[in-house]
Amino acid sequence: MSSNNRNTINIVISGVGGQGVLTLAELLAKAALNESYNVRVGEIHGMAQRGGHVVCTVRIGPMAKGPIVDEGFADILVGFEPVETLREISRIKKDGHVLMSSHIQYPVAVSMGKAEYPSIDEITSNIEKLTSNITELDAMNLAKEAGSSRAMNMVLFGAIVATDLLPITKETAIDVVKKKFPGKFEEINVKAIELGFSKVVN
Amino acid sequence: MTKVDTLLEDTPGKEVLLLANEAIARGVLESAVRLVALYPGTPSSEIGNNLARMAPHLENFYFEFSSNEKVAMEVAGAAAISGARSMMVCKGPGLNVAADPFFSLAYVGVRAGMVIVVADDPSMWSSQNENDSRYYALMGNMPMLEPADPIEAKEMLHKAYEYSERLELPFLLRTTTRVNHTRAPIIYDDIPARPETVSFEKDPFRFVPVPAVARKRHPWLLEQIEKAREISNSSELNFFESSGDFGIITSGVSYNYVLEALSTMEIDAEILKIGMSHPVPDEKIKELLGRHERIVIVEELQPFLETHARRIAQLQEINVTILGKEQDYFPEVYEYTPKIVMNAFSKMMNRESPVDWEDIEDTKKELPELPPRPPLLCPGCPHRATYYAIRTATRGKAIYPSDIGCYTLSISPPLETADILFDMGSSVTTACGIARVTDQDVVASIGDSTFFASGLPGIANAVYNQHPIALVVLDNRTTAMTGHQPHPGTGLTGMGEQVPGLDIEKVCEGLGVRYVKTVNPFDSMADLVADIRQMLDWIRENQAPAVMISKAPCALLTAAERRRKEERPSPYYVDEETCTGCKRCLNRLSCPAMYLDTETGKAAIDKDLCNFCGTCVDVCPVGAIMQEE
Ligand code: SF4
Ligand code: SF4
Repeated sequence: MSSNNRNTINIVISGVGGQGVLTLAELLAKAALNESYNVRVGEIHGMAQRGGHVVCTVRIGPMAKGPIVDEGFADILVGFEPVETLREISRIKKDGHVLMSSHIQYPVAVSMGKAEYPSIDEITSNIEKLTSNITELDAMNLAKEAGSSRAMNMVLFGAIVATDLLPITKETAIDVVKKKFPGKFEEINVKAIELGFSKVVN
Repeated sequence: MTKVDTLLEDTPGKEVLLLANEAIARGVLESAVRLVALYPGTPSSEIGNNLARMAPHLENFYFEFSSNEKVAMEVAGAAAISGARSMMVCKGPGLNVAADPFFSLAYVGVRAGMVIVVADDPSMWSSQNENDSRYYALMGNMPMLEPADPIEAKEMLHKAYEYSERLELPFLLRTTTRVNHTRAPIIYDDIPARPETVSFEKDPFRFVPVPAVARKRHPWLLEQIEKAREISNSSELNFFESSGDFGIITSGVSYNYVLEALSTMEIDAEILKIGMSHPVPDEKIKELLGRHERIVIVEELQPFLETHARRIAQLQEINVTILGKEQDYFPEVYEYTPKIVMNAFSKMMNRESPVDWEDIEDTKKELPELPPRPPLLCPGCPHRATYYAIRTATRGKAIYPSDIGCYTLSISPPLETADILFDMGSSVTTACGIARVTDQDVVASIGDSTFFASGLPGIANAVYNQHPIALVVLDNRTTAMTGHQPHPGTGLTGMGEQVPGLDIEKVCEGLGVRYVKTVNPFDSMADLVADIRQMLDWIRENQAPAVMISKAPCALLTAAERRRKEERPSPYYVDEETCTGCKRCLNRLSCPAMYLDTETGKAAIDKDLCNFCGTCVDVCPVGAIMQEE
């Protein structure tokens, strides 16, 4: 059996239930499938959606059989939130790419004063223990700029495509989003993708 | 195109990215299934959600959300006995509920194909236990197929109907969370027509298993299982793949991890992939055992295949080393990952693991401790208001039996109103037991869907035996936890028709509950607290059960409704001047939309998260929380 695992691109998306993690994973996979790649998406439903920590995985390539991306195997880690990015950092492969939104959403334990939220510097320096390849952006701000705080996932979609690590063009990304959400949010979504994209390209 | 349109498309050969649960819903069309009955349960929920959306567009098709799994099994079983292909769907613990009809159904058998989809949940992502339904197949003498991914899930569904009709037995299709919630490219097949009508042909000496009949049916059933074993030995669902120095037997999602591990580590081995896991293909297993000195068994949860392999080796007198859970190479708990498989291979073969996991472990130890983010009741959740009132009224001193639903999340501080839980409906019955042996106040809570699913017999019991319990029905107008399915109280059927919903208040009165009161948890916190105290007084005086129905729609439904109507209520805010920073709102109510502004030391509200329920306003002792004009 040949070792073609290398041809598989593994993406881990980490965030908070309700932020649109599942939708982003689905859109990424759809875009890759449109470009004729084999894909697998691993999702978490139920309990984890109630404001809890949510992780999704997207795998692209011929050896993508199961949905799981293990520790040390992720090419890209997308974090919707700083602490949630760090929570999954062990999945990143050596020198893998971390894409992190800097907008903070406090866990209730922090609001209640039962736990502390680490500083952004602390978070980044810890990520750097595993990779120096970090792109930071405030997806929440950009989403609001696009017209809705709910479009964070679209901003990140644009940002992922801009890294050039996936076989997905911006045009395909926009196309897939338009098909999934036709109607009144189209403009906001497209703008969000563009904003995320240009943030990373520049 | 909406998901429903996509699933209904008559475009054979088309490739679509689907979740396994969506692929199963699609498979229902492609297998000409006439009736599906189920009670929703994660990880199986999306099967029903999609079928419910598809049903109104289909001819000769019936779909229902049954009131519980036992009911669903009986409805679907009767349809298949009448000659129409049917399906029943449940999660692992749901099969426990349906176990009673399940065993009888195997005895009487079916006339048209019937498939029972059971979704097990290794790692317990959303279940109260981790049971391995393969043992139901074994104990109930019912054949079982076990797909490894969404693609196989649809293919095996078709096979299951074919085999089911050949053997006149219902078939189990066992999935696991990682299959149910994986998305993969699915290729569409034809959609055949469904039969318009079928008619029930009487055969009471087959379909009424009084002892004399059942005694004859048991040997018949065992004969059918022998025929199933022949199928298992010849079916392409159990296949050999590649070659190498040792053999691997695997099934379900673990099969993928085996492939990935072999590829990553560049190991050659011969695989026997088991798709029909009951009865196991004895002949094929024997062949593999005979061909190798070492056999590795890779399967999640209990050593099902492993035990069978050891059984076959002993019977066939094959001298072979079988490595698996019994020697601790693999765990018996939680779901597997490629890493678990790679680590086991490394250990067995004295090889280095492909990734330096020890190094990763070391780095992990250096990372700071992160604040936990467990699932919570949503901002604006009506349950939060009710539980806050319950705790306040009872000063946290009552016993709080809980049930299965979102509201079990109230186990976490600061609400802490979940003290005991067994299964669906156990809030009522455990409350009865506690009230009988202690002199503590008992305030149980149950959701509206669970109330109809399994709460009713418990209430009948409480009334009949005069148990002094308080039962709060958290009526949020939906089955929220599993994705907002309707239930008998909502007045919406699985076919999308509006019907009169059952009135929980009247149902309780009809069952003989003498104290029944409906409240809106958002009306007034002070009144709600007073209502609960009054109910407890009544119970102490009358030594009988009382029911309070706390009725307000799920926050997610409210938010969706608001978005549809493009309503924007004016936001809530904390007045910095008035706020004393006492943190009562944060420490007692814990709404995820509220946080402490570390700069000012005052409470604050995140406007993007707030769901405008107003509960926090009543909680602040100094009136610092207000709604903008
Ligand atoms: S309860 Fe009122 S006074 Fe106390 S922290 Fe909250 S808003 Fe401020
Ligand atoms: S902040 Fe107050 S009004 Fe907003 S959701 Fe939370 S409790 Fe309800």
